[in-house]
Amino acid sequence: MFRLKATAAALTVGALALTGCTAQQETSSGSESLVIGQFLAPSTFDVTQAEWGNRALYYQAVYDTLLLGKSDGTIEPYLASAFEYNDDNTVLTLTIRDDVTFSDGEALTADIVKQNLERFKEGGGAYAGDLANVESVEAPDDTTVILNLSAPDPALPAYLSREAGLVASPAMFDAEDADTNPVGSGPYLLDLDASVTGSTYVFTENPDYWNADAVHYETITMNVLVDSTAIVNAIQAGEVNAAVLPDNNNLDQVEGAGFTIDASELNFQGLLLLDRGGEMNPALGDVRVRQAINFALDREGLLEAIQLGNGTVTTQVFQKASKAYLPELDEYYTYDPEKAKSLLAEAGYADGLDIEMASTAVLGAAQFPLIAQQLKDVGITVNFVDTPAENYIADITAPKYPAVPMQLEENPDWQLIQFMISPTAPFNPFKYGDATTEELIAAIQAGDQETQVEKAAELNRYIVEQAWFAPFYRVSAGYAYDSSVDVTLMKTNIVPSLFDFVPAK
Amino acid sequence: MIRFILRRLLAGIVLVVVISALAFSMLYANSENIARRILGQNATQDLVDRKTAELGLDQPIWTQYFDWLSHAVRGELGRSWFTGELVANGVTARFAVTLSLVLGATILAALIGVISGIWAATRGGWIDSSLQVLSLIGFAIPGFLVALALVLVFSIELHWFKATGYVPITSSFGGWMSSVTLPVIALSLSTIAVVAQQVRGSVSDALERDFVRTLRSRGLGQGRVVLKHVLRNAGGPALAVLAVQFVGLLGGAVIVETIFAIPGLGQLAVSSTVKADIPMVMGLVIATAILVVIVNVLIDLAQAALNPKVRLA
Repeated sequence: MFRLKATAAALTVGALALTGCTAQQETSSGSESLVIGQFLAPSTFDVTQAEWGNRALYYQAVYDTLLLGKSDGTIEPYLASAFEYNDDNTVLTLTIRDDVTFSDGEALTADIVKQNLERFKEGGGAYAGDLANVESVEAPDDTTVILNLSAPDPALPAYLSREAGLVASPAMFDAEDADTNPVGSGPYLLDLDASVTGSTYVFTENPDYWNADAVHYETITMNVLVDSTAIVNAIQAGEVNAAVLPDNNNLDQVEGAGFTIDASELNFQGLLLLDRGGEMNPALGDVRVRQAINFALDREGLLEAIQLGNGTVTTQVFQKASKAYLPELDEYYTYDPEKAKSLLAEAGYADGLDIEMASTAVLGAAQFPLIAQQLKDVGITVNFVDTPAENYIADITAPKYPAVPMQLEENPDWQLIQFMISPTAPFNPFKYGDATTEELIAAIQAGDQETQVEKAAELNRYIVEQAWFAPFYRVSAGYAYDSSVDVTLMKTNIVPSLFDFVPAK
Repeated sequence: MIRFILRRLLAGIVLVVVISALAFSMLYANSENIARRILGQNATQDLVDRKTAELGLDQPIWTQYFDWLSHAVRGELGRSWFTGELVANGVTARFAVTLSLVLGATILAALIGVISGIWAATRGGWIDSSLQVLSLIGFAIPGFLVALALVLVFSIELHWFKATGYVPITSSFGGWMSSVTLPVIALSLSTIAVVAQQVRGSVSDALERDFVRTLRSRGLGQGRVVLKHVLRNAGGPALAVLAVQFVGLLGGAVIVETIFAIPGLGQLAVSSTVKADIPMVMGLVIATAILVVIVNVLIDLAQAALNPKVRLA
């Protein structure tokens, strides 16, 4: 008995001693290495299936994009050293750099860019539709790529700074291991031996990178931490230099660990008043009813209750970084139940009305009783139909409901219009549009920069006045980083651009 | 003996096939919107329809199942619908990780459980009572609370172990130890409690049996009596308990893997099931079923080794 205990004790001590030797790989605060905490593992390194969002950094590390999205929202040349439209915005000409090589030694040519664009469009990936307006691509010489569009697409440069603009080496086109073995021209190289699939991805600097000034680190390690508790633990244990914060529940702990939190507001939560034509629920076809819903909502209260105050109350859906954003439209509708009731009476619903909406726990179960209560107070009875998360979007786009609560991304203008406002938008399932919106959308599509901004602002104001939506607030999403690194957030993505992680002075 | 193993393995294969059919039918019930979920909000309906046809989701369920089965028996488990990764690769890579956690927890539980159970049964008195109380506590505390407490003390405060991540044993033994120690402890706690209780009970019973009195009367010391004779009798039920706990640990690993960000089967199981990534889930189901069958066969063999009275019929 004595011997057993002693042996057990010796083993434990020995094990602990071993771990003590090599326990913490403390994150270095020198500029040689950066450790980033990621919320998702990469889905695939095949660029035709790429998805930006939380996965952007994986692609940015090993690939270049044709154009570069800057943190202030502008689009600049990158692999394409120049880009220019013709007069009616139906032909986009890119001039391709001649000094770029892929990690397998292949030189970049316009023909390779052409093939990448065509493969992306035909590849069946989730974002293949970004190139829907690209009718054909030509590469008349080694440094010129011409995109012929079937219709003007104001969002095309933005798309070319993301998924659609990724350029992979031809070696990947038919490779069996395209999903796991990237061959690109990017600032870093994936070190497959040091990486652990699904857990850790180690990128080492590409010594032959054509834009050497943009490479700030010798090694970037990306750790996959799919759970918000794991992220907070990693922050507190000093195992990451920067990480995305999937929710706002632990902000104090993160700041207590010496991290800075920068917040961006990329999404809004609110009601989508989809049935503006009154097809499914005639009441919603009356603008006064939709406006009444807007006046009935206590946005401050909802923000406090659901997001603990993290966010900004708003009544518009255009993003703050947009030039079409109008500050006064954040408060166009005040909390005024009396006004709501009188509008409803004017519209002939003094006795109240019923609306059926979907609900799902993933959006946050707290909000549904609150919404129901606030609308009940003005005479609107909401009947929530609980829907499993995996069916929610399909039910919205079917359409199955005249109105639904939802959280949606506030994309840059043209993308937002294509996403929520145009008659063909997935989140305009009743395909509603009137003469004004049609005219404004057409003007934006065909217009130059100035016209686009002007008309987009008009469209923004119009749909707020017409109460197409009843937004509650913009949701605040945080990104945390320690004192060894300076990070500038993107206005158009939840994670910063890889080039905006810079060693702190 | 050989016949025994063969018969058990054959029964195991039948079991695995039945389980796969059941799992497939349950997953199919939710497959209507898979293509939309794979492609996300931005995709057009055309793309969604194309994806549906590409994945064969528009075919009757039995056609889909037999298609899958005919490939599976050849070892071709297909590719993940969401990441394109080969299912076989994904599962085997993560299998080793979870296995190291679960095996580690089982061995730790066996060691500590057996030692403390014997100690409590032979010493009795306050040692025995405190073991019972500790067992109850260990059994009642949820695994994730233990995990969180361990991380707080040993990773964040003391920096003795990693809070997140996994280092393969092939890369660095020290790194591997620092990444699996806390998860293994968190996982094993309730198993230690159960095993300790079980061993304490069996050893206690065995110590009162006649053969023990006989052995003592022949002059054998307490140590030898316990180790050489009593354990062999008490071992049977303890092994049975360990087998059941092992299977339970596979499930418990899910939470621990999530909190410690360890890329194991548990994490994969949760994310694949939520997305309804049917090829990946089927691969996981098969891997787990095979593992359970093998473990049960091994435990039966161990039982037979311990106790010749167990007939390998």
